Amino acid sequence: MNRLSVTGLRVRYGPIEAVRGLDLEVGPGEIVALLGANGAGKTSTLSAIAGLVPPSGGRILLDGEDVTGLPAEALARRGVGLVPEGRRVFASLTVAENLLLGGAVHAPPPERRARLRRMEDRFPVLGERRDQKAGLLSGGEQQMLAIARVLMAAPRLLLMDEPSLGLAPQMVERVFDLIAQLRSEGLTILLVEQNVPMSLDIANHGVVLANGRVSLRGTARDLLASDAVRGAYLAG
Amino acid sequence: MGTLLQQTVNALSLGGVYALLALGLATVFSIVRLINFAHGEVMTIAGYGIWWALLLALPAPVAILAGVAVAVGAALAMERIAFRPMRGADVTTLLITSFAVSEIIKVLFQNGISARPVPIVLPAWLTSTIDLGAVRIGMISVVSIAAVVLALGAMALLLRRTPLGLAMRAAAEDFAVVRLMGIKANHVVALAFAISGALAGIAAVLWVAQRGSVDPLMGATPVLKAFIATVLGGLGSLGGAVLGGFVVGAVEVFLQGFLPEAALPYREAISLSIIIGLLVLRPDGLWPAANVSRS
Amino acid sequence: MRRPDSGTLLLLSAALLAAPAAVAQEEYVIGVAAAQSGGLAPFDQPSFAGFQFCVDEMNAQGGIAGQHPIRLEVRDTRSDMAETVKFAQEFVDLGVNFVVGPADGDPTMAMGQITGPAGIPTMTFAGTAPILTQVSDYVFGSYPADNQQAAVLASYARELGYGSAWLLKSPDAAYTLIGPEYFGQAFQTLGGTVLGEGSYTMNQPEFSAIVTTIQALDPQPDVIVTWAWEPDFPAFIRALRDAGVTTPVMGADVLDTPTVRGLGDVVEGVVHTSGGYAEEGSAHADFNARYLAATGLAADTNYHVNGCDIVGMIDAAVRAAGSTDPSAVRDALADLPETQGIMSSYTFAGTDRMPLRSVVLARIEGGQKVFIRRGLADPAIIPAP
Ligand SMILES: Nc1ncnc2c1ncn2[C@@H]1O[C@H](COP(=O)(O)OP(=O)(O)OP(=O)(O)O)[C@@H](O)[C@H]1O
Ligand SMILES: [Mg+2]
Repeated sequence: MNRLSVTGLRVRYGPIEAVRGLDLEVGPGEIVALLGANGAGKTSTLSAIAGLVPPSGGRILLDGEDVTGLPAEALARRGVGLVPEGRRVFASLTVAENLLLGGAVHAPPPERRARLRRMEDRFPVLGERRDQKAGLLSGGEQQMLAIARVLMAAPRLLLMDEPSLGLAPQMVERVFDLIAQLRSEGLTILLVEQNVPMSLDIANHGVVLANGRVSLRGTARDLLASDAVRGAYLAG
Repeated sequence: MGTLLQQTVNALSLGGVYALLALGLATVFSIVRLINFAHGEVMTIAGYGIWWALLLALPAPVAILAGVAVAVGAALAMERIAFRPMRGADVTTLLITSFAVSEIIKVLFQNGISARPVPIVLPAWLTSTIDLGAVRIGMISVVSIAAVVLALGAMALLLRRTPLGLAMRAAAEDFAVVRLMGIKANHVVALAFAISGALAGIAAVLWVAQRGSVDPLMGATPVLKAFIATVLGGLGSLGGAVLGGFVVGAVEVFLQGFLPEAALPYREAISLSIIIGLLVLRPDGLWPAANVSRS
Repeated sequence: MRRPDSGTLLLLSAALLAAPAAVAQEEYVIGVAAAQSGGLAPFDQPSFAGFQFCVDEMNAQGGIAGQHPIRLEVRDTRSDMAETVKFAQEFVDLGVNFVVGPADGDPTMAMGQITGPAGIPTMTFAGTAPILTQVSDYVFGSYPADNQQAAVLASYARELGYGSAWLLKSPDAAYTLIGPEYFGQAFQTLGGTVLGEGSYTMNQPEFSAIVTTIQALDPQPDVIVTWAWEPDFPAFIRALRDAGVTTPVMGADVLDTPTVRGLGDVVEGVVHTSGGYAEEGSAHADFNARYLAATGLAADTNYHVNGCDIVGMIDAAVRAAGSTDPSAVRDALADLPETQGIMSSYTFAGTDRMPLRSVVLARIEGGQKVFIRRGLADPAIIPAP
């Protein structure tokens, strides 16, 4: 059971209210796609769930447990992993150091090493570049590293913020394959994306945000078929 | 030739102390974006710690350890009491807070102990000399250089080989993501202050051994030089801070040693001009930080 | 005897209550600017402590000239020149009778530029640069001036057979800069030679580079002379001795502190000037004993007793003037003939307001201040300010 329930979430930055009463439910082993235009409040929602910004209202439950307002480090220890917007790998650390840091508090040293080996098997490019500075990797490789880094913690709930942003089409493909694969391994995933068709293709449900409020929600299939979504995102 | 060698030893020994202090400043700055001007007072507190331990008739090695321990404690206390409530405040607010802490500590020592220096007598072997042919070198300079090398080596190991060290390097780049890894921000910040305290404590031991006394203003000048060193090296860059410390020390010593007599009174101005010149050539410092803009 | 009735008692107590008002005296207000923190605090603190102690003693005797209770307006300069100047202006605005300023020439001169034109006599706690009185006719010294100290020290150096000297100066204060220069002048007048000089910055981190320069001197000097104070002097002498240089070192009155004497072997044999020495049975020793008894603290510097002497100087001037009028007091003080003080006697008449006072020579031996002798500088060799 890795269920995320968000009710009435509000996030405020001084006078700006970025999220205004958001309800959201991600069932165990599901992918929910969180869609919306720039500035709709997607990143703010993920930041609040991950504990990077304190919500100004609403509740966040993890498997029924109220985790509202816990700091990021506490939520990470409870199994919430975030792949941040823009990858944010530690450029001056090596690939291996980035990965080890991802598992630093989640596994004792021998287990950490074992996880490191598993990640290097799963992402061979990271194995080849293990001693290189992460800043020298290509954008796609950095995205792989950011995902592998969060997987080192063996999270229960994975929050992903635009993982395909700025990647070459072939790489985008690989990222979406990987996300689908992670779900099949039992992970619960909240996916923020601009690539609406591909997200809805792998998602179970979709939620569309506009100005911090839900403007549309439904199963992925219904949304793909809806006129509103087609009009707004699939027209071109 | 002999004089040149001797002045080089002097430059390394002074530069080493600046390097320790600058590294402490840079460590804290890289994590919390705070230029801690009270860093000099951590050094002063360590000096008084040694003095106090010697008053209690503790043996010199114990007194030295006590001094370093006191410095670590002082740096941690400073973080806890003064800077933690200010976490996330803008750079100016933090800077002013650190000035306030610095002033308060100075006044406490001046009015609580004495405005005048208190003497510290360290073991005689520390103050002996070594003869290398025609050159005579003070033991204290040699010990000082060795201590600096050891401290810098230990610091490098800590940063490269331990998870918390990794976390500190990572936090210097992107603190928020470090927290996303489940690493407690308070631990990382506390470790940064503890390290800066330990380095200031070691600097204080070397300083006190060379000067033979402690006074309430002891740390003020060296920390100013160390600050110049961190800017020269590249603000926020640990390697740059160490390099900057040695460069500032060398500039000072060689000017002192080799300027003609008539120009000596202008030494400080000349030394600052050289440093400003270096900064004009390399505005980001001699060894800029990998990533200074993100916080 | 008849018991007084209640009416008489009432009258009596009313009279008693009214008595202080009836004989209320004109106060004598002294503005005091001294540093409780910062670089001058080591000198200002003890000066002010001794001053305050003797003000209290004098007030117990009725005040200045036995009839004007002293009221102090005390300001902490924090060793900050701007603050000092601000307080000078404040004292002028308050209309104080007298101003006592910091124990260094530079801030005293800054104050004097404001208090002098306002006609308020102003005395430095322990500034010794003889030029300090040139800023205004109203500015006075209290401690034996640097040129007097330098002349006495140079005579002694020549007596010891020293033929060559090396001077260590700092341009950061008039004291540290001019003192060694006066020594050099007097030393040369007496046939000695000055081999060269070094320059340091106050609070300079370390002195090994200077020491290396000294080691490289050829020929080596017979004596090294500096007016450096704490913490620079301890750092310098430590570096010098640690490098194995055994050349004798001479310094000025600032070295007369327990912390310098507490430095151990490195200061063994250092000769310095001093404003005074508390010989047994002297007024100075008596002051130290009274101070210890009253405060529980040792008056362990000459700044304490000199602070007390300043109270005496003001008292003598007011008595001589027969008035508290600032201009009259200034004139009387400037013409004060030899007067017995506690640290030593002082003469203002015939000087340019830097008092002629005896200078003590002392040597540090085994952590103790050993008295060498006491005497006035020979006018023939005192360098002109
Ligand atoms: N730290 C912040 N301080 C102030 N305002 C912020 C901050 N972060 C976001 N905002 C504002 O909140 C609103 C929502 O921003 P958010 O980043 O959540 O949107 P988003 O949906 O992720 O957009 P994008 O698709 O561009 O990433 C925007 O108006 C943004 O300007
Ligand atoms: Mg976003």
